[in-house]
Amino acid sequence: MASETKAMQSEILKELRFPISPANILRKRHSLKKELLKQVNLVPSRIAILGGSTTTEVKSMLELFLLAQGIQPTFYESGYGRYSEDVLFENPDLWNFKPDIVFIHTTWHNVSQFPELMEAEADVEPRVRREMARFESLWEKIHTGLGALIIQNNFDLPGLRPLGNLEATQSSGRVNFLMRLNAEFASYACKHSRFLINDILYLSAKVGLDEWHNHTYWYNFHMAVSPTATVALAQNLAAILKSVYGRSKKCLVLDLDNTLWGGIVGDDGVQNLILGRDHPVGEAFLDFQLYLKELQRRGVILAICSKNEIENAKEGFSHPDSILKVEDFSAFKANWNPKPENIREIARELNIGLDSLVFLDDNPAERALVADQLPEVAVPDVGSDVSRFAEILEHERYFEVDKLVQEDLNRSAFYNSNAQRSAYQGGFRDYGEFLNSLEMTAEIAPFSPVYLERITQLINKTNQFNLTTRRYTSAEVEAISQDPGFVTLYGRLADKFGDNGLVSVLIGRAIDETLELDLWLMSCRVLNREMEFAMFDALVEQCQARGIRKIVGVYIPSKKNSLVAGHFAGLGFTRLNGSSGGHESWHYDVPQSYSARTRFIRRAAKGLPTVANA
Amino acid sequence: MTRDQFLLEMDEILGLRAGTLRGDEKLEELQNWDSTALISLIVLAETSNDAHISPDQVVGCSTVADLLRLAQVEGSPS
Repeated sequence: MASETKAMQSEILKELRFPISPANILRKRHSLKKELLKQVNLVPSRIAILGGSTTTEVKSMLELFLLAQGIQPTFYESGYGRYSEDVLFENPDLWNFKPDIVFIHTTWHNVSQFPELMEAEADVEPRVRREMARFESLWEKIHTGLGALIIQNNFDLPGLRPLGNLEATQSSGRVNFLMRLNAEFASYACKHSRFLINDILYLSAKVGLDEWHNHTYWYNFHMAVSPTATVALAQNLAAILKSVYGRSKKCLVLDLDNTLWGGIVGDDGVQNLILGRDHPVGEAFLDFQLYLKELQRRGVILAICSKNEIENAKEGFSHPDSILKVEDFSAFKANWNPKPENIREIARELNIGLDSLVFLDDNPAERALVADQLPEVAVPDVGSDVSRFAEILEHERYFEVDKLVQEDLNRSAFYNSNAQRSAYQGGFRDYGEFLNSLEMTAEIAPFSPVYLERITQLINKTNQFNLTTRRYTSAEVEAISQDPGFVTLYGRLADKFGDNGLVSVLIGRAIDETLELDLWLMSCRVLNREMEFAMFDALVEQCQARGIRKIVGVYIPSKKNSLVAGHFAGLGFTRLNGSSGGHESWHYDVPQSYSARTRFIRRAAKGLPTVANA
Repeated sequence: MTRDQFLLEMDEILGLRAGTLRGDEKLEELQNWDSTALISLIVLAETSNDAHISPDQVVGCSTVADLLRLAQVEGSPS
């Protein structure tokens, strides 16, 4: 019975995956919501929707797509067209709502004044400035008054063009004006970390302007975006929020034969694989590889899971037209074991959860097996036509990022280095000798402005080595970093194979002579490297310097953090009697004389030595 | 689309158990009959029956039977 229910639920939720039928989603919104609300461990989010037009449909659709990402929203909706007034006049309902996120749903209808026909360029430019100033005052007020992350639509284009093609070229043309505003919005987004663009210019082009705008809904309901296009808009917004909440996928696990090249490498031989610009299908495989290479370069981890002999599998990448090379993959499983078994191994090797994986295979039987055995793994129904693989992956928006930080760009290099570390580990007498040979250096210091983005990112995405799983917004992290009542530490770790980046964060609240640890987390990249000891040594030093005599640690068990259940005991903390709401409290008396726990990590002053990534 | 199919779709739109609507219900008495349901209904008529109906026309309906007529569903009362 339970499996029947699960199957039924899975069938219903398919509506929200590729290929989407907006009409079906609109029709089934009640049953979809009901099913989605049955999920456990939903992350709450308070979202204010400030509308330049009617937003009821946006809210309804956004709720579905967020629930599908495991995020349970509570909404505030401004009155129709009151996106600006609610903020500038500090509507108490909005202020009391205390949103985490403010979404400003404006469209081309909300431009206050377009240029006059034949208006001189000298007059158009000030118009652009005035329009920008109007929006900027709104954004600044939200940042200072509400401290919320802003998601702002850029501008779509009107359906009608009185000037025809000149709309785009004349400085007084509306298309020209909107594109200039969009460039200004983009520039603002680049300079402000807590400001993201919902790119409706792209979305409306993808959906098609004729479907995006619908006069019936505009004149009857003042909906600037048609109901069916609103589905696409909500899906796009949910993808942004998924990234904000650290729920994007990290790794793409790929099959080989007929997925990365045409043909069976073991049977046909490398020379006969279909790959390259001289064949229509070969060109599609080549373009798919180029797309994957782009993903890999911006931080998506690639892995191979193929039924093949390992030598044959690797040889496939020696094809002269292959863009991808063996070293682009952070895990490589080519054998005859069942794929779910190999995928579990890949997750273990990379130290990431199964729910961080996407599996792509042209074989429907393999897809069905993995989907059945590993429900946490995303398995898009890509079909067997390589020319559509990238499009389908894009549609699901698995790897959305709200910002690119250096750690993302280095991620693949890190995981490849990690594979080298694992291989290297084999030749040592014991684990200590291995750790010693890594020549690890850590930079541990109080929060610094240059790292706040990465710190916030880690806080909001780390689940396993995370004692309390408390999440903080960028504004909160920034405020904490400047508050002398807090002790903050970040840790970066490098070794002979490369720079692991910023991997650990600790926040404690000082109350008299006691420090209460609000948060302690570490990226699973550096598990079993004794980085937690290095962090603890630095923490004790901070406490000694500030006259703090006791550290109180809290462990809040979650579905994913059992890894750290013994963390405080291992550091010599004593458990306090009783617990509230499942929270465990531990305490540690700070000694006057302390012997460092770190055995294998050298502490460096700020600025780690540059180590070339292997 | 037949009358029964349309009623089932309406059940779905309103979040009702399949087979709840019979056709003689008053719209104002239906749970979840709101602007989102109205929009879903218009989209349904457009995509399933290729029938263009305006919000004004829907607002002018008082019963489910009126909607069936408006959406030009087979077997609906004329």
